[in-house]
Parts: sequence; structure tokens; C-alpha cells
Amino acid sequence: MPVLKGKELRIVGFLCNWCSYGGADTAGVARAGQPTDLRIIRVPCSGRVDPLFIVKALLNGADGVLVSGCHPRDCHYAAGNFYARRRLEVLKQFLPVLGIDDRRFEYTWVSASEGQRWQQVVTVFTERIHKLGPAPRLEDAEPLLKMADMALTSLRPLGTGQTAALDQLKEAIKAKLPELECVIGWQQGYDGAHTVPLFMKTPEDVDKLIWGPFNVNNPAVYLPSFKGKKVGIVVKGCDSRSVVELLQENLIRREDVTIFALPCEGTLDMARVNQTLGRYSKIDKVTYDEAGVTITADGKEHRFCMTDCAQGKCYGCTTPMAVLADMRAGQPVKVEPGSRTPPELALLDSMSLEERMAFWRGQMERCLRCYACRNACPMCVCRDFCVSDSRDPHWMSQEDSTREKLFFQTIHALHLAGRCTGCGECQRACPVGIPILALRQQIARAVGQLFDDYKAGLNPTAVPPLLGYELEEKNIHERDWK
Amino acid sequence: MSMTRFVTSDGLPGLLAFLSQNGRRVLVPVEKPANKRSVVFEPWSKGMPFTLEKATVPPKAAVLPQSETLVRYKKTKDPENPERVTMSLDDSMEAQPTVVFACRPCDARGFAVLDRPYLQGPFADPYYKARREALTVVTLTCPSGCNTCFCHWVGGGPSSPEGSDVLMTGVEGGYVLQAVTPRGEELLAASSLPDGAEQFPLAEAARKAAWATLEPAPDIKGAPEKLAALFTDAEFWQNWTDRCLSCGACTYFCPTCYCFSITDEGEGLSEKGGRRLRSWDNCMSSLFTREASGHNPRMLKAFRMRNRVSHKFSTYPENWGAFSCNGCGRCISNCPVCLDIRAIVLAALNADQATAE
Amino acid sequence: MRIGVFICHCGSNIGGTVDCAKVAEIARGFPDVVYADDPMYTCAEPGQAAIEAAIHEHRLDGVVVASCTPRMHEPTFRRTVERAGLNRYMFEMANIREHVSWIGRDKEANTNKAAELVRLAVEKLRNNKPLAAKSFDVTKKVLVIGGGVAGIQAALDCADGGVPVILVEREATIGGKMAKLDKTFPTVDCSACILGPKMVDVAQHPNITLYAYSEVEDISGYVGNFTVKIRKRATYVDWSKCTGCGACTEKCPSKKTPDAFNEFTGPTTAITIAFPQAIPKKAVINAAHCRQFVKGKCGVCAKICPTGAISYDMQDEIVTEEVGSIVAATGYDLMDWTVYEEYGGGRYPDVITSLQYERIMSASGPTGGHIVRPSDGREPQKVVFIQCVGSRDRSVGRPYCSGFCCMYTAKQAVLTKDHIPNSQSYVFYMDIRAPGKMYDEFTRRAVEEYGTEYIRGRVSSIYPDGNGQYVVMGVDTLLGEPVEIRADLVVLAVGIEASKGSPQLAEKLRISYDHYGFFMESHVKLKPVETNTAGVFLAGVCQGAKDIPASVAQGSAAAAKVLALFARDKLESDPQIAQVDIRRCVNCGKCIRCCPFGAIKEVEIRGEGKAQVIETVCQGCGLCTATCPQGAIQLSHATDNQILAEVNALCQC
Repeated sequence: MPVLKGKELRIVGFLCNWCSYGGADTAGVARAGQPTDLRIIRVPCSGRVDPLFIVKALLNGADGVLVSGCHPRDCHYAAGNFYARRRLEVLKQFLPVLGIDDRRFEYTWVSASEGQRWQQVVTVFTERIHKLGPAPRLEDAEPLLKMADMALTSLRPLGTGQTAALDQLKEAIKAKLPELECVIGWQQGYDGAHTVPLFMKTPEDVDKLIWGPFNVNNPAVYLPSFKGKKVGIVVKGCDSRSVVELLQENLIRREDVTIFALPCEGTLDMARVNQTLGRYSKIDKVTYDEAGVTITADGKEHRFCMTDCAQGKCYGCTTPMAVLADMRAGQPVKVEPGSRTPPELALLDSMSLEERMAFWRGQMERCLRCYACRNACPMCVCRDFCVSDSRDPHWMSQEDSTREKLFFQTIHALHLAGRCTGCGECQRACPVGIPILALRQQIARAVGQLFDDYKAGLNPTAVPPLLGYELEEKNIHERDWK
Repeated sequence: MSMTRFVTSDGLPGLLAFLSQNGRRVLVPVEKPANKRSVVFEPWSKGMPFTLEKATVPPKAAVLPQSETLVRYKKTKDPENPERVTMSLDDSMEAQPTVVFACRPCDARGFAVLDRPYLQGPFADPYYKARREALTVVTLTCPSGCNTCFCHWVGGGPSSPEGSDVLMTGVEGGYVLQAVTPRGEELLAASSLPDGAEQFPLAEAARKAAWATLEPAPDIKGAPEKLAALFTDAEFWQNWTDRCLSCGACTYFCPTCYCFSITDEGEGLSEKGGRRLRSWDNCMSSLFTREASGHNPRMLKAFRMRNRVSHKFSTYPENWGAFSCNGCGRCISNCPVCLDIRAIVLAALNADQATAE
Repeated sequence: MRIGVFICHCGSNIGGTVDCAKVAEIARGFPDVVYADDPMYTCAEPGQAAIEAAIHEHRLDGVVVASCTPRMHEPTFRRTVERAGLNRYMFEMANIREHVSWIGRDKEANTNKAAELVRLAVEKLRNNKPLAAKSFDVTKKVLVIGGGVAGIQAALDCADGGVPVILVEREATIGGKMAKLDKTFPTVDCSACILGPKMVDVAQHPNITLYAYSEVEDISGYVGNFTVKIRKRATYVDWSKCTGCGACTEKCPSKKTPDAFNEFTGPTTAITIAFPQAIPKKAVINAAHCRQFVKGKCGVCAKICPTGAISYDMQDEIVTEEVGSIVAATGYDLMDWTVYEEYGGGRYPDVITSLQYERIMSASGPTGGHIVRPSDGREPQKVVFIQCVGSRDRSVGRPYCSGFCCMYTAKQAVLTKDHIPNSQSYVFYMDIRAPGKMYDEFTRRAVEEYGTEYIRGRVSSIYPDGNGQYVVMGVDTLLGEPVEIRADLVVLAVGIEASKGSPQLAEKLRISYDHYGFFMESHVKLKPVETNTAGVFLAGVCQGAKDIPASVAQGSAAAAKVLALFARDKLESDPQIAQVDIRRCVNCGKCIRCCPFGAIKEVEIRGEGKAQVIETVCQGCGLCTATCPQGAIQLSHATDNQILAEVNALCQC
């Protein structure tokens, strides 16, 4: 049963039972005439509205979505709308990165007595959606294939010089090893240009530990599986933020984890290295110096300077040193003050909404739903119980469509809202190189702007912003419905 | 000698145009989005850029799509009696004639691995069969091995013809096309390409040179028995999987993994109707064997990896007489933690039998 | 499933702008719908009987009614389907009256929208599951917070009904604002005389435990089983020994202590008993003004006390009580009228509040009941009363009416004339609000018998004329003329606000409060003493302005609610609560952190930590469900799949 062609657009409302649904009733009782487009779904509380319902509706044909709850401080459930306010505001700031006009989603507060206000809200919102017209569909976009410009300057030195302190680190690990189940670090993989996680249980294992620009993996991903056991972990700065975020969320216990740290000078973006080498080359030799690496592949020497070939996240990294550590070695690294927009996000920023939708259409087509992104994410705590492949709740179908694939990325991004430390493992793990980190970066940027420059994983005692609220939000303001 | 043809490098678009005649879909490797970030097979259309790089994603989807609709069902209600519901089923399927162009010998051997369970068992899968019969495989032989390839360990090689209809080998100035099946001959015969007999020796030399770049292969004939014996050695599997993230990259990028799950999506009475989907499944996921009760015989990732490795190197060979791994190395190169199936097989071969038992 | 759909015409309310028969016809095409009809009045007895009959005849296992708002008749129809043997949660409503027929004129669009809302309800229902309530024990003991007249009434009624009562009062004596009043309207009888006996009843009632000079520190638990922590503030007098003889108050050397009970109209001593009829009649030391505390030496009261009750090192004490229900009766405070610069902003001694005037008129007050000016002790001849000071005034953020000021101003004018026969009172008013029994007659008496001059208009400024009088400048809006009166005394009818700390208490009680701090009732008309937290009831002005009879009535009403609640030995919990799928739960603790009610705890199940919902504490908001990333905690009756079914019904392209 479609909307009335030419007359109506598809507008979905989520109204809390106690205030706004009552407000809509009051408007009805007062015969306050309204446009007929809106279809109301009654929920107990605006806090019940998972932002993903809204994305689901918008991706599946809704032209507009309206959420309305009790006024702040007036929640039937004391605080549900305080949480809703934060989550829905973050969603509103997230939608444009997908290419969805954020004006198509609005949230507001209407009390049970405010029939007039409800009439106003519905009328204004419906007019707004009619002005915007039918929402563009992901499937209709012509795929747009663009790559981010990686020409970058860095906020801190990039190089490979810190290996000098590795021996000192190894000694420290060996000294602590008898008390620990294992210490997680890195070892060489199938060739010198590939490094893989190492689980050190014996002093001989410790000798395999390496440090350098190939240490791309984030070992924090393994920590929750060791919960309750004493483990050690060797971290780069970004990895340490994952450890801190895990502590913030009580997913690991501080007394169980011993953190060993060296200052990081950046990690190589293997996708860019492979632009030169090809993905299927035979790597014979890898040598390091202060500024970069030399890789001999298929008999030819290639030079990769860290300043040219680091991962996008490394250039804007402000935590090359672990934010929390029990044992540190190496020379401290200085960070220039300043902020920078990560290259993939900058690319999206430069696009129109239509281009962004076309961009994701083009990118998500090649996703195989292997979920390497999800499983490489240290903050993905659901592990074997992700909603992406569950029937109850049944958020996603098994369909091989760009919409379902993009919806999964939205699930991941929104579940990480305020929690993502930007380690970039999702994007690095993606075998087909989809720049999905940009979605998380957009949310992280919104969270920072909304909540006092909050960054996930810096302070073990901080409450993640979407798991808390303020009675008065400094940067979230009620909309004007005139 | 089999039929050969020669095509110049510049002549490739012309060749693709020929292949796409008669409604044939030609799947070619394409760089997505650019700069070797990934290479995937996509239907070719005139003027479309393509590459001859080894693809990141094998062309398995040509016969076994990531997700396919087996049946569409639509329900209609009797307006007089809403209790009476009739259901119409539509299980028609399109098996568009398809050419996979410039896949590698390992990819082509993948089709051979899939053929056995899907066509040679007690039941032939009609969906697979229709697509497979409409498929022609034009394979580009590899000029060299790479750091993750091991096709020659498992019975293949850089110019193995198994699974291919036409082998294509790069030589000075162009490519020699050699038909290796009647279907391939038919295809080449219909083309207007010049004969390749003159260049064929060059092609043979190139293939030999490619073999020479490979490290000697270890003898893994004993793998089926060794792996079977290690089935109960939980420690072995745990040690080899400690870094596994339980994602599906290895299986979804594998040209020979063929497990699927079936789900019904949508409502028969909706406008779209309902669909019964068959989608790739992934034995590295805990869900793969989770039972309705919640019990899971492969609760640990170690047991799931044991299943994957054992299937490829032990149980499939027991059933079909060949490894179901074709050594393309994609599970290694695409793994976020570079878990190396070669290392596991070698470790199994070298495992002390006493500890295994 | 076998679903029956009923599209109600509601007479012409729906049928006028929605083609109900068409909607029923469309509904027959929906999944699992085996029966659809369009009755004229579904909620009427024949309509309900038809639903029951259809359930039996068509073996329905779910019912959708499309009619008015579920906020009206959902309980009605749930009972209907229950009578026919269905679980009451196998029922859904589509609101096609308030949300369709009454707001849209286009019949085609309305019909289409109504059909879609029915589809929504059908899709939701197809995902419904029968839910069953669980029962639990009730602690038959009630906490009454606030010992004003409303709280006293509630406490006495409960106690008389056989329920043990814990009465907590913030001040040293119960009685509240009423105890400060001289007389009460419209009978002009003595406030202390009618309240006093009730206060004594409280003190003597075997079922009432009184904690005066105490505050509620913390409340946890849920209806039937609250745990309350009460802070007994240190009085520095051992009340078990104090006999209330008053010897200490006579000898206390700190004679300039501000007297809160008397609204600061005169000083008192640092150790004091609020007033002669105080309950409990016990002394309290005001440590901020006591020499022993301020200077570290004095000890006069300790020496004089015949029972040795003085205890300077007394500490606050926390006591814990288990109760099954709570009545909040925390009353009000006057707003800070000094924001009105035009009235002197508090600088003029003879511009006073109405409550100060009550103390001045009261025989137990600082002047012994003689009306005199605070500045010079002279008897005033001209008294100006100004109404609506901080009521109905948006400019100071008080748009509401304080309800009883019109009446007490008339009373005070009458009393002024009684006390000082040659005096003249003027009342500046906006409107006279006297809707109660005998109220309008009373205000007329003030005008007609007592010669009070009522001037409709606002006062623009008050200033001293330098000769001991105040110039009150105003305007008579009926005559359209400026008015200027030289007054000896100005009495401001200061508006009320929720008593201090109301929002904090509301948060402890987990009830809502409005913009001004007044507690929110469950329904403005139909549930005026209930709150949205089960087991918590409201009495008196804490819910909104009301006079003494209304406060007493509400106190009794709250007591009736408590007694009705306690009439049952077991309570049923609402099954629309969150449930944890322990197979999916990974114990990440996000739900525990967010739950506004502390209704989720971590438990160990076969060696693994899991979240568990405390069924009786969960209020069913679903915040946890929206928070849990793995969908492991689902709010029954509003699960992800139920809401997704609705979303998918609307958005399926």
C-alpha cells in the first residue's frame, strides 16, 4: 500500500507513548487539521528509538522521519529523552556523510498537552519534506568512484627510528612474563612486509617481537577474550586508546592488563605500498632506516618514505605515545598542535549529498560481507552475536544489495558512536579497500563537536558520551518550528 | 596441437567485444575504485577499462552468486474469503551465457572444485548446473608466482588448464589463446583472430619461465591422514588460531568455498513478495554450526579453523580425490592477520604423531 | 496466526471522513487476517460482544481494533479479548480517529492512511507474544513525605486504615504552612484550633512513626518494596529526654536568632521550640547561631536543662525503612518576591508578604496578635494588599495562578478591619478567583460588610514618602485612571512555587515534575493523585496550587489509593518489561549503565557474567533495548522485531 501518488510522501514518525503520542491525540481532539502524510509508530519512550530504525526507514524508502518525545526533564522514564537527545543529534550529524539530507530527519519534544505545537510540528515538517521532494534512492545513483587525495603533511614526525628501544622493551616483557598468561605483540608474517599478531608465552617468543611501520594490527582486539586473565600487551599510541576505551566500558580490568609501549612513528598504508608493488608480488627483502623502508620485490628495489606512505590516520594522530602504559621505552615524540580532517573524510566533505550517495553506491557494490571490518574492530564487543546475521532481532536480510551492505556499515558506525578511537582497523582489514573509516570519523567528529571535544579512549574514567547525558546540553538546541 | 589464436595487446577490447556477442555476459577484472585498491570481476561493456591483474575477488560468483534468489513467492488472498490464501511460486532462473575473462589458473581450477559436489554428487544442483553449463572460462596464465601463491603444492600451476576452456598467455606484443576444451575451440573458431601457432612456442616458453619462478613445493600427500589424526588435538588448533579474528575473509575470497545458507526474506503478501535466498555462508563464523538450542559444536575458533583446513586438505580429498584448495593464496593475502593456511598444513605434516594421539 | 480486524466508525467521528468498509476490505488482504468488519461503535457493549463472538467463531488468536487512541480504550479492548480467552497482549490498536479522521479532510487520503495504520498494527501483532504478569509480595507500610495538612491527612487516614505510617518532616514540627496561618477562609476560624487536634492525633497514633527534622536521603526499590533512607538531622537535643518544658529557650543568650517559623518577623533564641502547639514539642538548637557552636563556649542550655537532654556532639543519623508505598506531600514555598524592584525589592520594612502578615496577626506570633508595622511598631491605618505578586506573571517566569491568594487576601482584609476598626484596606487585583463553596460570598462580604476597596489594576511602584508612609502608585483599569494611595503597610500576596528541593526529591522518587518543580500526576483529570511511578502518590500543593480543603481531600485520596494498593497481598508486575536473551548477552554492561531505574544487574550464570532485569523495578522504557548493540535485551511488546515490522510495513521499497 503505497503513499498516494502525487499527494503524499512517505513520512514516518516515532512518538513516545506518554507525551508526544498524547500531544498528537490532543491535536486530534482539537480537530487541529494536519497533512496526511505522517504515519505514527508508537514507542514507549524516545529513548527506545534506536537510531538504526531511522536509518532503516530512510534507506528503505522513507522521505522523512520525525521522532518526538517528552520535553527534557519531563520524561516519563526520568531520563530516556536525555539519552535520545544525544543519540538522535549524533545521527542527524551522521546522515549527510551517507548522502542523506539531514533535513529529512528531525527530532523534537511535544508534551501531551501541546496539541497546537504538534499540529505546527507536523505541518512544518511535512512542508519541509514536500519541498525536498521524494528522497533519492541509493540504487538509483550512478556509482561514483573516487579516491581520497593522500598528499599530506603530518602533525608529528613519521619514521622508523624507534626500533632502537626494542631490546629494552623485550627485557621488560621477559621480566614480567612469568606473571602473565601471555603478552600480545607483533611478529613477522609470511614475508618482511607483513607483520602479524604475536602471542608471547616464553622468552623465545619475546625474541620474535618486532617493532616498525608494518605493525598495523591493533592487538587490543584480543584483550576482551582474555577477560579475567592477566595479560600483557604491546601498544602503539592508537592501540593504547583502544585499551583505554575497553577500560572505560569495563570490558577489561586495569589490574589484569600490563601495557608495554613504544612511541609510534606511523604505520605504512599497505594499500598504497601495493599500488607500486602490486598485490601479488614476491617480496625478497625489507630494510628499514630512519625515514622509511626499502622493499625488494620481484627483483626490484622500491623505496617507501613514511611521510608519503603512512596510513591516513597516522598523519593526524595526536597520540603517538601510549595514553596509558605500565612500561615505556624509546624517545618521546612531539606532536604539533592543530587539527586535521582525515583524507577520506575530507574527500566526502568536498562532495555534494548526491555525490556522497553515489560514492557509497560505488564503494559498497564490491563488499562481500566478509565482516573483516567488524571482526578487526577492537570495540566490536558483540563478537559472535552481531545483529547483522541474527533473525531475532532481524535487522538485516541476507540480500546481496548495496543497501544492506551500507546499512551494515551504518550499524557498525552507530554502535561505535562515541566509542570509536579511530584506529582504522576496519578499513585496513577490508580486503577490497572500501574507505569505511570515514563513516566512523564523521561520527567521531560530530561527537567531538557536540561534547566538549570528547575523544574516545583518552581517559579511562570518562563515561562514553552516548552512555551518559547532561540535563542541559551545551551544543544541542531545540529546533524552531515556525 | 589444439587450436590457437593470437591477439595483440591493443586487440583485447576487440576480443571482449567479440566475446560479448550473442547476449554473453563477459566478466573482466576491473580495478575498484582505482590504483589496484581492489580488483573485481564485473560485466564488461564497450569502452570500459579493465585490467589483467590477478583479481582480489575470484570469479566464483559467476556460478555461485554471493546471494541468489532460489524461489520467489507471492501470496494472494481470496477477497471473498480472507482465510483462503493461494501462493504462487516462481523458481525460474536466468543462466545468462557468461564468459569469465582473464581469471587465473587457480580461479579456473576453483570451478573444477565446485563442480564435484554441485554436479557429481547424488544430486546435481540445478542452479549451479545451469550457470556452469552457460560458462566459458578464458584463463590468463601467470607469469610468475608470488609470496602468497602455492598452486603447485596442490596439483595446479601457473599454466594449469584444469577448469579452463581457453588458456591465454602473454608474449611479446600480445597474447596467445589456446583452446583446451571443445567449448574453447568452438569459441576461438568463431572469432576472427589470426592463428597463434607461430607465437605458441613463445607462450610455452613463458609458461616454463613462470614455473621456474616457483619455490620447490613440499610434498603434502600425507596431509589428509595427518589432519584427520590431529582432529582431537585441540592445543594444536588453538596454537595456530590464536590470532584468527573469526571473520569471513578467507572463505568469502576463496574460489572453492561453497557452503551456503538459505533464508526467507520478505512477506508473500507484500508488493515485492517473498524471496528464498541462498547466500554464501562462512564456516569461520560461530553461527555456522550454532544449533537452535544454542549449543554449538564448534564454539571455539580453533575448531572452526580445524574444519576449514581439514575440509580442504582432508575430508574433501577423501570424498573427491583431490584437494579442495587450489593454492590461490587469497585467504592469506586477504586475511586481516595474514593467517597462513600453508603454515598450518606444513605444521600438521610435521606434527609429532605421538602428541596427536 | 488468525487475526481479526475491527474498523470502528465511531458514529460519524471516523466514518465521516474515512471509508471504514473500504479499510476493512483492504485489511482482509493483509497477512494472517482472516476476518474484518466495520462496526458502528466498537467500544460499546454490542461492539465488544461482537469481538468476543468473532474470536470464538473465527478462532482468532489476535485482534486489531482501529478506532480512537489506544490511550483511551486499549485497556478496554484488552479486557474484551481476555474475556474471550486471548492473552491481552495479542491485541493491537490503530488510531484512526485522533490521528486520521479528526485531522484530515481528504477522505481518500484518510482511508488510505487508515488502512496503512491497520497494516502497521497487523504487522506488529504478528510479532506479538502472549505475556503473563508475575506476582510479588507487598510491604504494607507507607512513607508520607511532608507533615503539612495534606501529609497529616494522608498519614492519619492510612493509620486509621490499619497501615503503619512513616511520616517524615523536614522542619522541627509538623503542621506545615497551615500551622503558620492565623485564621482560615471562608469561615474565619482559627487555623491552629482546627489543625492542632490533628497534629496531636499524629503524635498519639500507634500506627504513625514521626521523623521530624528529617529528610529523605535515598529511595530504591519499586511498588510494594521500597527501601527508604532517612536522614535524621542533628537537633543537638536528645528528644527522648526533652520534655518541651522550654526552660532552655528562656535562658538562651543568643536572642537575635532569625525566626524561620515566624517568617523572620521577629527574632528568636538559638535553642527553640517553633510554637506552643508544636508536634513534636521538642527543642532544637540552630547551630549557625548558637554560641556554643559559633564561639565554642556557652553551654547555658546544657546547664539549665532539667533532664540533661542537650547533646552538642550529636551527629546526623541515617535510618532505613522498608515501605510498600510513598505519598509525597511536600507542599510549597513562596517565590522570591524581591525580584520586584517596583515594590522595593525587599528594602522597605513595611512591605511584607502575606505569610508574614499571618504571623503578625497570629496570637502566637511575635507581636502576640497585635497588628503593628515592622518598622516602628505603630498600628497601620491604611493597608494596601497587592495580589498576583509572582503569580500569572510571565515576566518573572510564573505564568500560573497560585490559586488561593484571592481568598486569603479577602480574609486578611476582613481581619484587619476586625483588629483595627478604623482602618481602611485596599486590594489591587487582576481578577477575583473565588470558585469554591462560600468563596464568592466571602469576598463580597469583604467588600460589602468590611468596606474593603477593590481596585482592578496593577501597582507600578511603591516608594516611601519620607513621612513614614508609602506611596503606592497604580492604575484602576476599570476607570482607566491612575491611583495613588498613601499606605502605612503593604501586604504582598506572593505567589507560590514548589518547595525547595522538589526536583531532587522527584528524581529520588523517579517521578516527573513540571517546569516549575511541581510533581506531575499520572493524568490531569483521571489520575490526579497517582504518578507515573507505581506506588508513589501525591497530596497537596506539591502537585500544584490548591487550598486547604483541596489539600485535605487529596491527602485522603492518596490514602485511599494506598489502602486500595495494600488491600491486595500480592501485586502483579507489568509484563511489558525488558528481557535478556542470555545466549546473546556478552555482559558489556551498557544497559546497566543506562537504565534510569537501576533495574538491570549483573549476575553470574554458569560462570559467565550476564545482565539480568529485576522485573519489578523495570518500568518498560526500552532505553536498554536501544542501547544494546547485540540486541540481547529486548523490551517485551516493543521488541526490535516488532518495531522493525512496523518500519518495514511502511518502508518496503
